[in-house]
Amino acid sequence: MTDRLLRVNAYTTCDLVEAEAVGPDGTETAPAVLNVRVPRRAPKHVHLELELDGTALEWLPPHADRLLLSAVEARTVADALRDCADELTPVE
Amino acid sequence: MVTEVERWKTEVYGAEIREQLETFAAAGWASIPADERDAWFERFKWWGLYHQRAGQESYFMLRIGTPNGVLAPGQTALLAEIADTYARGPVSNPTFGDAYLDWTTRQSVQLHWIRLEDVPAIFERLEAAGLSAQQACGDSWRNIVGCPVAGKDRHEYVDALPVAEGLHATYKGNEAHANLPRKWKVSVTGCREGCGQGDINDLAFEPAYVERGGERVRGFNLRVGGGLARNAPRFATDIDVFVTPEEAIAVGGAISALFRDHGDREDRYSARIKFLMDEWGPERFRRVLQRDYVDWELQPAGTDFRAEYSYNAGDADGGHNDHVGVHPQRDGRYYVGLNVLVGRMGAADAAELARLADRYGSGEVRITQRQNVIITDVPEDALDGLLAAPLLEHYAPDPHPFMRGSIACTGTEFCSLSIVETKNRQVRYARWLKEHVTLPDGVDEFHIHLSGCTASCAQPQIADVSLRGMKTRKDGEAVEALDIGLGGGLGAEPQFATWVRQRVPVDEVPGAIRNLLAGYDAHSREGETFRAFVSRTDEETLASLLEPEETSYTDPMMHNTKLTWYPYAADDALAASPAPAHADGSPIEGDD
Repeated sequence: MTDRLLRVNAYTTCDLVEAEAVGPDGTETAPAVLNVRVPRRAPKHVHLELELDGTALEWLPPHADRLLLSAVEARTVADALRDCADELTPVE
Repeated sequence: MVTEVERWKTEVYGAEIREQLETFAAAGWASIPADERDAWFERFKWWGLYHQRAGQESYFMLRIGTPNGVLAPGQTALLAEIADTYARGPVSNPTFGDAYLDWTTRQSVQLHWIRLEDVPAIFERLEAAGLSAQQACGDSWRNIVGCPVAGKDRHEYVDALPVAEGLHATYKGNEAHANLPRKWKVSVTGCREGCGQGDINDLAFEPAYVERGGERVRGFNLRVGGGLARNAPRFATDIDVFVTPEEAIAVGGAISALFRDHGDREDRYSARIKFLMDEWGPERFRRVLQRDYVDWELQPAGTDFRAEYSYNAGDADGGHNDHVGVHPQRDGRYYVGLNVLVGRMGAADAAELARLADRYGSGEVRITQRQNVIITDVPEDALDGLLAAPLLEHYAPDPHPFMRGSIACTGTEFCSLSIVETKNRQVRYARWLKEHVTLPDGVDEFHIHLSGCTASCAQPQIADVSLRGMKTRKDGEAVEALDIGLGGGLGAEPQFATWVRQRVPVDEVPGAIRNLLAGYDAHSREGETFRAFVSRTDEETLASLLEPEETSYTDPMMHNTKLTWYPYAADDALAASPAPAHADGSPIEGDD
């Protein structure tokens, strides 16, 4: 298999999250890397990146997804994550 | 828009950093304004100093570059003294104790727990002995690597040592080459065995010849753009240029200048020259080099020796796979390569190494790219005495293959990037494998490289078994884990590892390697090397052979060591950290 596509080090936002990829014929479940960063070159977006472990995938080819969020979108997502996190019990 | 680091570099960089460094050292670490620390720590790298990771504030790693890994008589003893005096932290390492030094994969030396206040005295002692930490890190010419027995090897085609030393003398401290877009790694090799690992360097000089007027002219072919980091490994690209040793110094500067002018300063992750090579390709690269950076006509590449390369080639039948063992020099004397497991050596042992080199050799010691050391210039009648020395029981010239093949990066013990413990773990792995796993007949060299993250400092992609730090969940707990790749290496046909399994819990990795080797033994063809076996076996089969398994191996560092202040402290919580500390080790109050 080819190497991981996202770099993983101590600055990675989450080096281990549970993830699902939903397709028309089923759902893939895999550990994943989730990272949030701002590109160093003239940043216009917040990058929210997700890569499911390639070796855990049955039918999905190894790849990484990258969401390009404007500052407003990034804050909207952050607020939604906080609100939803508060609904989990117990609160961590 | 340039990066923050580029802005800091524009303000102060290069040799001028030294003055401010010494001012801060005189006033103490706490005198560095809190809002300027990131900038100064970045700049200090140019003088070989890396600030250690969170929880270890005010302590530094000091890297000392030794061109081509050559330590002149007296220098090894001095490094041992400096390690013994200054490389002492608040907590001992359970395997290596206090005061140790690391021989690195770039033939350099690293010390840990260095206090800024001690740096001027250390620099004074180093420089008086002809050593320096200048440009050991940072965005410029790093330590130049090469065949560690350059000038002595019987297999050498052209003596590369004067070229390595010439490049070092010309471009270290050279203001025109002091501020490059990113690190600049150069390899110069004259031997026929590929010991310089030029394929993974930004610029590689490799032995070659051309015919001119019926004469065979010896020199080097050039390759550009190799490197392993950023999940984008590249082997250096042939740019179709041959240079004589006399032209080598000038062309090295020309290519460095091309990188300085055309490398990407807006994105550090795309700054290495391998990305410029991706963008331009070798033809355009050569064209720009010819047009703008050299004033003579570049000659096409000559005939090389790459088909003979044996170093890290995974083929025990070829020439040298490493430099461990007793080998004849071309002058009739011998060099004795000693295995240093994961490259770490206590200061007392390093002092004894220096003493043995003085007594049995010329006093010279050389560092290899496999984190080992070599005592050179040993007369034949002194070999028995050297080989009987007690130090060689631990640093063996004939080590078990699992000890010999182990390389590990710094890991969470000190590094701010790593996500797993590495050096002590690789020691535990090697010892367990030695005791519990039998290598198939004919396999006497087997490389396992452990890197703590995707920065790839342990060069994991070019090992038989590549281990790289990750996390997983086991019994409901987050634990340290490793991705595992197989079949990488250099040699005549270099190839990067194929990644076969991900997130194997660290305590199940030795069992996985045992199962893999049993599968290799059972399914390989007569005389088939491990690399060849991996190459012809499909990934699914390899994954099934590499079955993780709990064994008698236990791992005391399963927990998330990156969240500790120091993994081996009795109370390892970040809140228990004694850092930052004054020069005497007492905590600096009110600084968190």
